[in-house]
Amino acid sequence: MAVDVQARRRLTAALLGREAPPEPDAAADPVERVTRGVLLDIGPHMLSMATPKGEERFVFADSTTFWHGREVCHTDLRPGQDVVVRSHPANRWVVERLWADLARVTGVIAERTEDTLVVDTGHDRPRVTATVPYRASGRMGVRHPRLEPGYLFDAVGIWRDGEVQALIPVTSQPDYPVSRIPARPPVERYRETVSGTATWYDPALGKNTHVNPLATAVGAAYPALDGELDCGPDCDRHTTCAALPLLSIGARLRLRNDCTGRSAVVPVTACASATSRFCDRCRACASEGRGRIAQLTLLSFIGLGGSPEAGCFNATLTVG
Amino acid sequence: MIDVIRETQLPVLAVLLLLAAVGKTAVRPSGAEGPMSLLPARVRRPAALATAGVEAAFAVLLVAAAGPLGDAARAGTAALFGVAVLALLRLRRRDPEQGCGCFGGLSSTPVGWRTIARAGLLAAAAAAALGLPVSGLAVATGFTATHAAVLAVELAVLGVLSPELVEIPRRVRHRVPCELREVPLSRTLRRLYASDVWHMNAEVVTTAEPVDVWRQECLRFVRFGGRRQDRAVDVVFAVPMDGRPPVVRALIVDVETGVPVASFGAVADPPRPRRAPEGETADSGRRPAPYEVV
Repeated sequence: MAVDVQARRRLTAALLGREAPPEPDAAADPVERVTRGVLLDIGPHMLSMATPKGEERFVFADSTTFWHGREVCHTDLRPGQDVVVRSHPANRWVVERLWADLARVTGVIAERTEDTLVVDTGHDRPRVTATVPYRASGRMGVRHPRLEPGYLFDAVGIWRDGEVQALIPVTSQPDYPVSRIPARPPVERYRETVSGTATWYDPALGKNTHVNPLATAVGAAYPALDGELDCGPDCDRHTTCAALPLLSIGARLRLRNDCTGRSAVVPVTACASATSRFCDRCRACASEGRGRIAQLTLLSFIGLGGSPEAGCFNATLTVG
Repeated sequence: MIDVIRETQLPVLAVLLLLAAVGKTAVRPSGAEGPMSLLPARVRRPAALATAGVEAAFAVLLVAAAGPLGDAARAGTAALFGVAVLALLRLRRRDPEQGCGCFGGLSSTPVGWRTIARAGLLAAAAAAALGLPVSGLAVATGFTATHAAVLAVELAVLGVLSPELVEIPRRVRHRVPCELREVPLSRTLRRLYASDVWHMNAEVVTTAEPVDVWRQECLRFVRFGGRRQDRAVDVVFAVPMDGRPPVVRALIVDVETGVPVASFGAVADPPRPRRAPEGETADSGRRPAPYEVV
């Protein structure tokens, strides 16, 4: 059954009228200040990068910061790297922060060979190979004490030779395998707003980000897709810890970053079955919401004010 | 009197085993539950179904068989409950939060002394029935007042030892909200095909199967292709998960222009009551469906 997202939205809006899900606000484009592409040249004062719009140049301010697995100087960056630029609020052409070769691996450990892990990132995504370098093994061991098949894994790092170098653990791993995840307690009353954790993923896996439309996609993978229809016959999602309503591809979510107050309407574009197993709490700011409510694309996450190296922000989700 | 007590065990055990088999088969635990969680994940469900099969077989034999076959079933039942006691003791040590899974997903209360005592009592009951010359069916057909009194006392004891008696009414009172409820597509289509709004539009629909189906919280949208007044149209139904009978809405949209040409059922936008043209409101007569031509 083909998914015609535009038809779904149009027909849903026509049938529901005022009850229809919110439309995106064109004046509040969440990725207005975020640019992604391939680094072409970098100097002490400016850089040029290939983006889907062509070659674009940005200048640096004194406050500009650079990240490549850790805080680095511009001299540590090389042409050819995948870069994401968040512009200064007052001027789109001034870089506020730049991330290079940003990568993340979220899912269930499928195999382990010494310091190399193969992680199952969900039924609709390829498995990702991640290595934990010696310099990161200490902090990884604190928050991910069991690097064994069947246990959850979530870390941010950088791409290197088609593999993820996992450098920063972005959650505390549960001490039980996924087969023993407790069932969600009964939900007696549905609430239209759900608080929890918003995380990010890179649909392009860092490849050809100047031409790959997935690299600049706006939207969110949702961990509570309707099982029989949109999640598909191989669906491996778990019942989410947060009481999320069941939706389909094409639905719209209003997400508010509880730390910055910024909000936007984003479309549901994929299944986030891997995140459905996490019942963690984000420590970005004070919030009691537990469980992952949306897995934003990298650009949407940064556009909503998230720090990719932190891995999450506390969010409130409203449907309809 | 002792023989009456022993005889009463046969129908009691048979009914409980049958209920346990049905519970394990029909009410899937939402997490790993019961002694099955001591097994590897991939064999838990097959093992639960196999246990249900064994329980059902023992239930039938306890009712139907006498003599050596009946004694074998009683010994097997006693062994089954004996193993259950050991498994529950081990489960309680390993995972105190686990339910016993005795009646499938209905047994989600953490394993406690009541559940273990119940399994022990049933093992003793099955052992006590060893050597009886009659079958469970013969006991049921010749039930006396003494049997009934023994049965009442035993049911009261089993009721005290059964946490499921609290779980079942709670489940009946608090259903999962429709926004969160997993509903098979086949059930949605049955609700749609039984609705007045479907019968009103069935002639417009030209595709045998839905072209697209999607979910928005409590509603499933089902889209069909169709023709109306020689123009290609999309016929979209909004089928609610709740409500008896369900209040189904429908919308007919011109494929070429994208303009809605008619809507049926409850109108979502500001209601604009308007008399429908002749011939387009094939009403059921039981529950008039609001109709609007846009």
